[in-house]
Amino acid sequence: MSEPMIAIQGLTKRFSTADGRRHLAIDDVNVEVAEGEFVSILGPSGCGKSTLLYMVGGFVAPSSGAITVQGRPVTGPGPDRGPVFQEFALFPWKTVLENVMYGLRQQGVSKAEAEARARALLDMVHLKDFADFYPKELSGGMRQRVAIARTLAYQPQILLMDEPFGALDAHTRTVLQNELLGIWERDRKTVLFVTHGVDEAVFLSDRVVVMTRAPGRIKKVVEIDLPRPRVRAELLVNRRYQEYIVELEQLIEDVHLEAAGA
Amino acid sequence: MKSALRKLGPAASTVLSLGALLVLWEILARLAQIDGFPPATEALVQVPLILGERESLASIGASLWRMFLGGALALCFAVPVGLAMGRNKRIAQALNPVLTAAYPIPKAALMPIIMLWFGVGDLSKVLVIFLGVSLPLIYHSFHGAHAVDEKLLWSAMAMGMKPVARLFKVVLPSALPDVLLGCRVGLAMALIVMISSEMIARQSGAGDLLFNALDMALYGDVYAMIVILAAIGFVLDWVFERVRRRLVHWAESRQDAMVPGGGV
Ligand SMILES: Nc1ncnc2c1ncn2[C@@H]1O[C@H](COP(=O)(O)OP(=O)(O)OP(=O)(O)O)[C@@H](O)[C@H]1O
Ligand SMILES: [Mg+2]
Repeated sequence: MSEPMIAIQGLTKRFSTADGRRHLAIDDVNVEVAEGEFVSILGPSGCGKSTLLYMVGGFVAPSSGAITVQGRPVTGPGPDRGPVFQEFALFPWKTVLENVMYGLRQQGVSKAEAEARARALLDMVHLKDFADFYPKELSGGMRQRVAIARTLAYQPQILLMDEPFGALDAHTRTVLQNELLGIWERDRKTVLFVTHGVDEAVFLSDRVVVMTRAPGRIKKVVEIDLPRPRVRAELLVNRRYQEYIVELEQLIEDVHLEAAGA
Repeated sequence: MKSALRKLGPAASTVLSLGALLVLWEILARLAQIDGFPPATEALVQVPLILGERESLASIGASLWRMFLGGALALCFAVPVGLAMGRNKRIAQALNPVLTAAYPIPKAALMPIIMLWFGVGDLSKVLVIFLGVSLPLIYHSFHGAHAVDEKLLWSAMAMGMKPVARLFKVVLPSALPDVLLGCRVGLAMALIVMISSEMIARQSGAGDLLFNALDMALYGDVYAMIVILAAIGFVLDWVFERVRRRLVHWAESRQDAMVPGGGV
């Protein structure tokens, strides 16, 4: 077998709190993500999903354990792993087009080529008429489309998405989930996707990693064996889809009960 | 009535409120009949006379030049220091006590000491202006750099941007609205320190003109100088506000913005 795209071994993260105590956020997490796989991380608030993703991104250092990407240990951020945050994190002083061009320019791509590629991406996320807008002039859904285009622009092999649709209304979220799947089905990037939503996780993923309440451990990994390309309307009446939803809802329920009973 | 006023726009309401102030001044002065409080008309006729004199114009020009120099030096010094404090805990911890202690000291009060070291010339005056402008500028730059969204920096890091580039391309623009707020406070501070330094080191400048007139009991001239200084402050602030808006037009309007937005 080929080596995994992302390998996480014995990953542990402790934070020291303001009053000097040590808080265990992530405890001994082991996951492997294959190239081209779409893996979601599902778990209750505060269980360390973001922290896990930030460590893979190289933004936060692990306390112990190892993360390798294509066999190389992660020592910091790099353009092979493109983050997409819930808060969009666009550069507000740059226009939509400039935001999308920015990563390419950082990589030394010529201005003309960067612009051409950025415009093609904006076209793909249905924002070609908004190239000269500033982020503050866009809706939340549009901002997140720009953020996704900005990250796709420098062609990371891995997308690290932290509740990217969490701040959006239900309708916009559905639309963007469909768009993301469309994009993913075309170029099959490896995706690590953090979410609160059971249906979102099942709809998008090949596998769902369910985490326990803090300290975050892996509760269970559920393989989502549903045909692709996935069409929401078809899935909603698909027996297996419904079973996955029930199974994951039950797991999440258990996680809550365990924490309450402990 | 209210809607009529609103229609007049900000320029008209400025003229209106300044006009009201002048009328009030005129009436109060005529009622009070005090030597040191001439009516507005008596003071205003002196304005063109003062501005018509080469010497006083040169004096005012020299003041503004010192103010510009002090401000420019402060800009070059205070913004990097403030940004560095905002991004580096150690630097902030080292400098914060100094800043807190220095903030409430009236900078013009340092003038006599600075004069002992650097004489009564331009250097001392430029130096106190520099000090006066630096503190608010450091403070606001610090605040702005401290509040930079971590995710913006992370996004830049993921793109492969190096630390020094991030300071100029992410931290500085992120902090710019705060830096410019500091500049505006600094501008007011510069005017105040400029006049008070010239009050202490009398030699030349707008402050010197003002206090000479006061010594000679030329109250019309005193008030005319005050009007001129107020006008200078007004124009500088107006120009600055235009520039500021051009530079940070992209910023989300904030609830706590200093400048009230247009009536909604
Ligand atoms: N920089 C930090 N300093 C101290 N503690 C932190 C820090 N970042 C996260 N934590 C703690 O680590 C735990 C996990 O946080 P994290 O943000 O990863 O959770 P999450 O699963 O993403 O939650 P949510 O679903 O609400 O986003 C929390 O208890 C949090 O308080
Ligand atoms: Mg989170």
